[in-house]
Amino acid sequence: MDTIIRAIVGYFVLLIVVRVLKRRAGSQLTPFEFVLIFLIGGIIILSTVDSDRSVTNCTCAVITVGLLHRALSWGKVRSPKLGAFLDGAPLVVIKNGEWQPEVVDRMMIRPEDIRAAARAQGVSSIEKVKYAVLERNGGISIIPKES
Amino acid sequence: MAQPFRLPVVDSVPKVADEVAVGEDLNFQHKWWKFERIIWSFFILVLLCDVLGLFGRGWLAKAKRSTPDQALTLDYERVERSGSPSVMTLHFGPAASHNGRIQVFVNNEVIRGLDARRISPQPATSALTDGGITYTFDSGSTPTIAEIALQPMFPGRHKIRIQVPGRQPIETSVLVLP
Repeated sequence: MDTIIRAIVGYFVLLIVVRVLKRRAGSQLTPFEFVLIFLIGGIIILSTVDSDRSVTNCTCAVITVGLLHRALSWGKVRSPKLGAFLDGAPLVVIKNGEWQPEVVDRMMIRPEDIRAAARAQGVSSIEKVKYAVLERNGGISIIPKES
Repeated sequence: MAQPFRLPVVDSVPKVADEVAVGEDLNFQHKWWKFERIIWSFFILVLLCDVLGLFGRGWLAKAKRSTPDQALTLDYERVERSGSPSVMTLHFGPAASHNGRIQVFVNNEVIRGLDARRISPQPATSALTDGGITYTFDSGSTPTIAEIALQPMFPGRHKIRIQVPGRQPIETSVLVLP
């Protein structure tokens, strides 16, 4: 029972911490993010299973987290607000060829991120970008200007 | 059997400049940024409380209680953490010694609630008494110190009582955080 409660608390603590961390523009994991993921995950594991490292205990913790994840996924499909709360919403970074300064500042986006996304999507220059959208997963979608 | 997906394929999200269906919701985003600021302030407050010892193992968690005659002084942590080891120190003054022996009563909340693992030095005798255990130490010279190693496993408030028989008890409570 303790493990289930700890797994639920750990899941939501982890969820809220990861959610309030800014989306990494480009959605690529750098060593900087790897450190974060391994360290936070390791710390939560310690408090979830405590000193009981039996297969039974760990199985219960894994099932609890799995059920929570499934329940939230179900909720996201039915409630767009819950989806936006858990995953965020897409944000327009470049609109009609113009930077959206508030989004750029608050989401800590660098021009290099947009340039990299443009190159990856076959757009040779940032000047040819009509729309750049920071997606929920941190990816940047580029819509080029019509030539 | 699952029904086939029959909704028409249309953009149901708001379009940017009537052109690109993004589903951007700046109202929500402004609320979220405000929420983020609150959450980060809360996180900093939590860390500050932790540094100060409000969650145990720090300056605010440490406490000291004495009997009026200084027969017993207790150094303890008023906030403990479940599963974390700590030490409760009992300082015996000259008034605690009687015929070269020191006796001290420790209630069950210390033994079970705070999970007393061991007491050092080893008492000469320990006897089960009403609501706890009475330890007897041989005292060569005073002041004398005894240490009780704790590792509380049960979160909650535990009312502890420690007493040199015939003297005023020290009654206080220890909060064990999960």
